[in-house]
Amino acid sequence: MSSRGATSSSGGPQLGTSDSSTRISKKPKYSRFTQQELPACKPILTPGWVIATFIAVGIVFIPIGLASLFASQRVVEIVHRYDEECVPPIFSSNQLAYIQSSITNKTCTKNFTVPKRMKGPVYVYYQLDNFYQNHRRYVKSRSDTQLRSKAGELDISTCKPEATTGNNSPIVPCGLIAWSLFNDTYGFSMKNKVLNVSKKNIAWKSDQEHKFGSDVYPKNFQSGGLIGGGKLDASIPLSEQVDLIVWMRTAALPTFRKLYGKIETDLEANDEITVVIQNNYNTYSFGGRKRLVLSTTSWIGGKNDFLGIAYLTVGGFCMFLAIGFILLYVIKPRPLGDPAFLSWNRNPSGIMN
Amino acid sequence: MASERPLLIPSPRIQNTQDLFTVPVLLDLFKSNSGRPGSFSGMETKNPAENSSSVEGTLNSSSSRRSILSSRSKASGGGGNSTREVSFADLGSKPVRHGSRGADSEGLSTSQKEISDEDARLIYINDPVKTNEKFEFAGNSVRTSKYSFITFLPKNIFEQFHRVAYIYFLVIAVLNQLPQLAVFGRGVSVLPLAFVLSVTAIKDAYEDYRRHRSDRIENNRLASVLVNNQFQPKKWKDIRVGEIIKIHASETLPCDMVLLSTSDPTGVAYVQTVNLDGESNLKTRYAKQETLFKTHEKEEVVGLIKCEKPNRNIYGFQANMEVDGKRLSLGPSNIILRGCELKNTEWGIGVAVYAGRETKAMLNNSGAPSKRSRLETHMNIEIILLSLFLITLCTVVSACALAWLLRHKQELNNLPYYRKWDYSRKKDYNYYGLGWEIFFTFLMSVIVFQIMIPISLYISMELVRVGQAYFMIRDTKMYDEASNSRFQCRSLNINEDLGQIKYVFSDKTGTLTENKMEFQRVSIWGVDYSGAKSQIEPVGYSVQVEGKVIKPKMNVKTDPELLQLSERRNDTKEGRHVFDFFLALAACNTIVPLVTDTSDPTVKMIDYQGESPDEQALVYAAAAYGFMLIERTSGYIVIDIQGERQRFNVLGLHEFDSDRKRMSVILGCPDKSVKVFVKGADTSMFGVIDKSLNKNILHATKSHLHDYSSLGLRTLVVGMRELGASEFEQWHSSFEEASTAVIGRAALLRKVANAVENNLCILGASAIEDKLQQGVPEAIESLRIAGIKVWVLTGDKQETAISIGYSSKLLTSKMTQIVINNNSKESCRKSLEDAIVMSKKLTTVAGVTDNTGGSSEASPTPVALIIDGTSLVYILDSELEEQLFQLASKCSVVLCCRVAPLQKAGIVALVKNRTADMTLAIGDGANDVSMIQMADVGVGISGQEGRQAVMASDFAMGQFRFLVHLLLVHGHWNYQRMGYMILYNFYRNAVMVFVLFWFVLFTAFTLTTAINEWSSMLYSIIYTSLPTIVVGILDKDLSRRTLLKYPQLYGAGQRHECYNAKLFWLTMVDTFWQSVAIFFIPLLAYWGSSIDISSLGDLWILAVVILVNLHLAIDVIRWNWTTHAVIWGSIIATFICVIIIDALPFLIGYWAIFDVAKTATFWLCLLASVIVGLIPRFVVKYLYQYYSPCDVQIAREAEKFGTLREVGDVQIEMNPILGPQRR
Repeated sequence: MSSRGATSSSGGPQLGTSDSSTRISKKPKYSRFTQQELPACKPILTPGWVIATFIAVGIVFIPIGLASLFASQRVVEIVHRYDEECVPPIFSSNQLAYIQSSITNKTCTKNFTVPKRMKGPVYVYYQLDNFYQNHRRYVKSRSDTQLRSKAGELDISTCKPEATTGNNSPIVPCGLIAWSLFNDTYGFSMKNKVLNVSKKNIAWKSDQEHKFGSDVYPKNFQSGGLIGGGKLDASIPLSEQVDLIVWMRTAALPTFRKLYGKIETDLEANDEITVVIQNNYNTYSFGGRKRLVLSTTSWIGGKNDFLGIAYLTVGGFCMFLAIGFILLYVIKPRPLGDPAFLSWNRNPSGIMN
Repeated sequence: MASERPLLIPSPRIQNTQDLFTVPVLLDLFKSNSGRPGSFSGMETKNPAENSSSVEGTLNSSSSRRSILSSRSKASGGGGNSTREVSFADLGSKPVRHGSRGADSEGLSTSQKEISDEDARLIYINDPVKTNEKFEFAGNSVRTSKYSFITFLPKNIFEQFHRVAYIYFLVIAVLNQLPQLAVFGRGVSVLPLAFVLSVTAIKDAYEDYRRHRSDRIENNRLASVLVNNQFQPKKWKDIRVGEIIKIHASETLPCDMVLLSTSDPTGVAYVQTVNLDGESNLKTRYAKQETLFKTHEKEEVVGLIKCEKPNRNIYGFQANMEVDGKRLSLGPSNIILRGCELKNTEWGIGVAVYAGRETKAMLNNSGAPSKRSRLETHMNIEIILLSLFLITLCTVVSACALAWLLRHKQELNNLPYYRKWDYSRKKDYNYYGLGWEIFFTFLMSVIVFQIMIPISLYISMELVRVGQAYFMIRDTKMYDEASNSRFQCRSLNINEDLGQIKYVFSDKTGTLTENKMEFQRVSIWGVDYSGAKSQIEPVGYSVQVEGKVIKPKMNVKTDPELLQLSERRNDTKEGRHVFDFFLALAACNTIVPLVTDTSDPTVKMIDYQGESPDEQALVYAAAAYGFMLIERTSGYIVIDIQGERQRFNVLGLHEFDSDRKRMSVILGCPDKSVKVFVKGADTSMFGVIDKSLNKNILHATKSHLHDYSSLGLRTLVVGMRELGASEFEQWHSSFEEASTAVIGRAALLRKVANAVENNLCILGASAIEDKLQQGVPEAIESLRIAGIKVWVLTGDKQETAISIGYSSKLLTSKMTQIVINNNSKESCRKSLEDAIVMSKKLTTVAGVTDNTGGSSEASPTPVALIIDGTSLVYILDSELEEQLFQLASKCSVVLCCRVAPLQKAGIVALVKNRTADMTLAIGDGANDVSMIQMADVGVGISGQEGRQAVMASDFAMGQFRFLVHLLLVHGHWNYQRMGYMILYNFYRNAVMVFVLFWFVLFTAFTLTTAINEWSSMLYSIIYTSLPTIVVGILDKDLSRRTLLKYPQLYGAGQRHECYNAKLFWLTMVDTFWQSVAIFFIPLLAYWGSSIDISSLGDLWILAVVILVNLHLAIDVIRWNWTTHAVIWGSIIATFICVIIIDALPFLIGYWAIFDVAKTATFWLCLLASVIVGLIPRFVVKYLYQYYSPCDVQIAREAEKFGTLREVGDVQIEMNPILGPQRR
């Protein structure tokens, strides 16, 4: 920013207006602000403060760490990778052909035992690995306008290459994200009794209410040359298509879970659960893995020991530092603000050069 | 930095003012080359020999008579003693002279020549229509504003894009508009640029509005203009070239005009040019007598003025005027410039020649000089490093992306998250082949990582500097009551340089001293009247005239013995000498006495106005001894001698020039004798004395002169001789001839002067004291303790300089003085070599040199180097420079005497080009301009000697002692603040870039940003910018008291403690760690969870903002309410912004923050990443501060725990530098 302006005007004849006879004192007014003397607190890192800070961090972090570790441990989680198992052995060398074929039987039944009591609601997730939902091409390939209201149906410019059908009619919902909708399904049963999987409240309420319109119905979806994934019931408005809504909240990381539903009943330890998987989704073409996850939840979320361990580590480290500093202080204290330590007092020629 | 600049053109940094200075220099140089070395002074004096009192007689030549007063070299009046402008000519070298005045007389003599028609502008007097019909000359309305309402936007934007940084911004924004590269939304990417541009635009608009307002006031002022043979009021803006304007006393001139007549019968007008060049004394301007008696109301003046094109030389003007068929030449003494004020003249009538923007005042209306600070230069290296780093990051991303694409080559067609094949169109979608893809990836990563180059830093720095300047200007400790001047920041780019100064080059007169001359001692005919024995309080001599008492304005201490002698007026030889001596003092000058009324109606005050303070002092002294100059007109002077009015005809006046170093006046005395009185420097005067004179008296005078200059007094020698009739005739004819000569007038006049100024009888010598300014010794002491080397460069004599050196504590009795005083290159070489050996011996004998004076008990022999201008001629610009520098760097004090202005710049360049240390030059006069411009930091003293130094300076202030506050306090603060701010800005932006970069590694190397694009743009605008600016303006590491008490603390800046490569790399390592903490803690905590991209992005941006703000908070030294407000406010503002952004339904991250903030993991991640990020820095900072404290740290602790006072008071007896209490 040029500073020329302010000064240049004073150099010129404008000064002529100020009569030198009426000499107004230009003495700056005194104020604590202009003299830079505002009352101020001047914290200094004294050993006392520093040690106290580290102890405080330790005191806060260690309990938090213990608590989160404990919470994480209490979470019961059943993870089951099924992408490999669910391909019949005859197709094991050609998984792609199996998954792309429309005639092969995709049903796959698995049994597993509940290791510990799982208090409801039990969350059912599917987990994908090596699926870059955060890929640049992918995250951009959607049209929020179109999703929101019927009026925006034609707003498909960002949706390529999944914007229109061959005859140029717009696809609703358009874009790669919707196109690649995950379409494996899971049917749970226990002791020959069907376990109901509730889809209620699995999508964000805000999404359902504001991002996905209740007057927008799927149109021309999955009718193109390549079927990317799940199909949608054209009679249900988008705001009710919870699986789509969950899917379209793109994951942050290439390994992610998405909520499939909730089992509202409690599962007891050693319960045998049978799950019938419709293995439709093609992750074989890019080496992605599919897992089915059943998990309870705690205040810390799912099962993840990392935070607990991290907190414990940091808290412990801070305690260690605090002790170290105390020792250091005892062994080698320095009087604060002792002018004898000033460089020119220690070494008379120090300030030279 | 160390550029070899030709000395002739002092420095390219002052774009506008520079022309003002160099034009005359070059002019002078050309002239001089054509056969007249060193000529810059001419004599326009042309006095009617035919005496006399008749008005007509004087009128004949009044026109060109006394240009002397108008625009003479400042140093002139003092005669030889004021050798402040020693020209190169008498040093036997290039006849170059720095300063704008030298060429005037040359300009005058050339004004006789024809101005060629195409170069001329024709002005028909009182015929504005005809004048303006062919060429539309500028009207008189001025516009200092840059923009109009319509042109503002395009013009302002065009100007702003002169900065490279903005171009970078623009390129990034434009790149982002390409569909293939659109990383950010198109609107968003323009945001930073738009923000920066609009902030600047608003600032410019405000400034321009103020200029508009003052323009309007200026343009609507009224002046009386001749319309239809009647003077009528007319607005300034309507005045046109060619119109005749009448100005009354104390009115300001609306435009540049040629004077036609004045209320004074001789056509004299006095003007005050304080608005133009800052000189408050009155200058005389003349109307040509041909136009003098034309009464404009009745008689139409018809005439044609042919003058040069508008130019910015305020001391030059050349034109011809044709009036009544006669052709007259006009010079600078015939023109009054816009902005001047008419004084002591009832009215003046003139014709407008230059109006509005073509006036000299407006052409000289230059902006502040612009320099680049050292810190910024250093910073550029780091910027380059960061750019390389940016390129590396982008290359890494591109390479990884390439690898990824190659690995997935087969799958790309139907990879769900890539799918390059468009089945409905049967072609590739958005895929241009590997090469292009990689290239685009590279460009996209540049866009994403763009803030690695902290553009916002430049804006922040400017704002911080403005803030710092505000506080410097408002500092009551740097306000000078005597001159009612505040500190001025003329350059806003180098505030922080003030904290790193290693060398101070100071002028002496007017800078260290007050430039208020006081007559102290006198030696007449070999007798020293020191008055020291029984000095009485000044009584004040006064005379009674027509029942009114006339008193001189200033009283001078008198010597009773001499007073008696002068009163007695006995006809003894002794008495006659005293008489002649004081007559010489009263007459041999260019002082104009002004009689002014006082509150007491019976008392009138006589005020001596002149350009040389030395002359003023001498005239006041003469008045005190009863030789009161009452009146000076063009042809005669009236001196009241002991109550008796006597009239002396001024037959001729040879003006001072630095060749002769003396001036002379030829007086026709009442007793019909003709005498020539000469005063000048001792060196020049003893060369022209009558050899047959009494040796004893000569000897006595010489020894008195020596005594005086040892006392630090400025000396002048006065001589006289009577001219015989034939001799007078001879002189007169040659003088007439010379002064009417068309070509080479100046040289001819000098020859005439030399012819008459010889065989003089030495009457005596005077000694004038130039008092040290208040607080100078203490200030120098402080600067030296601070490790700053103070060099004094003066035009004074060696003895005077040395004695001032002692009284200003620059020199002490403990020092060994090395004096270099040579007349040839060889002897210079030899003495330099000897001196180096000697200084080495001295320093090694003493072990360690400590010239800082920090510890007084162990003081080895410091060495002081005293070198004179003649030696410097042989040393500068030759291979001896290196030796001089070696020697000087060993010396604690360097004193250069008898130096010419350009040599001053040469000395500054000598140091500047050989070290990386910062130099500061401080001075007050036109002769200091070159050195002020040469030095890294130029400081002007707004004192007695006009505004040229101030105009050329970066900072201006009223007193030398403010330098201590400026450097030790504000410089220290500014440096510390700016250094920290730059590092912090690098860090702040790099953390963000790293966080973005880490994420890219988890997105298949595509440039997805988890952090919302709005947030990443607002990051450096809203989230984190204000705290660093406020801290940059307000944070103080130490209080003013401590800094003044321990000047050594200044060393922090000299040692680059606040900003250096080590700190930069440490910061970058810290940055790396912090970004890892911020990125990976949430990443690991959320790995394999159902977190969505926006929620995680929100977490990251909040973590980054909180972290960088807390980082700043840890480093803030002084917490006052503004700091609290701005740091915590920024964090809160970030939360608010994130919430707002997530409440916009059209964005992908709609409602994410609300959802994620409900989970405990979010808050735990936030806390953990911030704490983990800060721990290393905190630990290192603590260990460093506690176990290896720097001086500043100890002083801070001492300040806080109060240990400073007791110990400090015992240890160093600091001379208190009191507030601005001046006499």
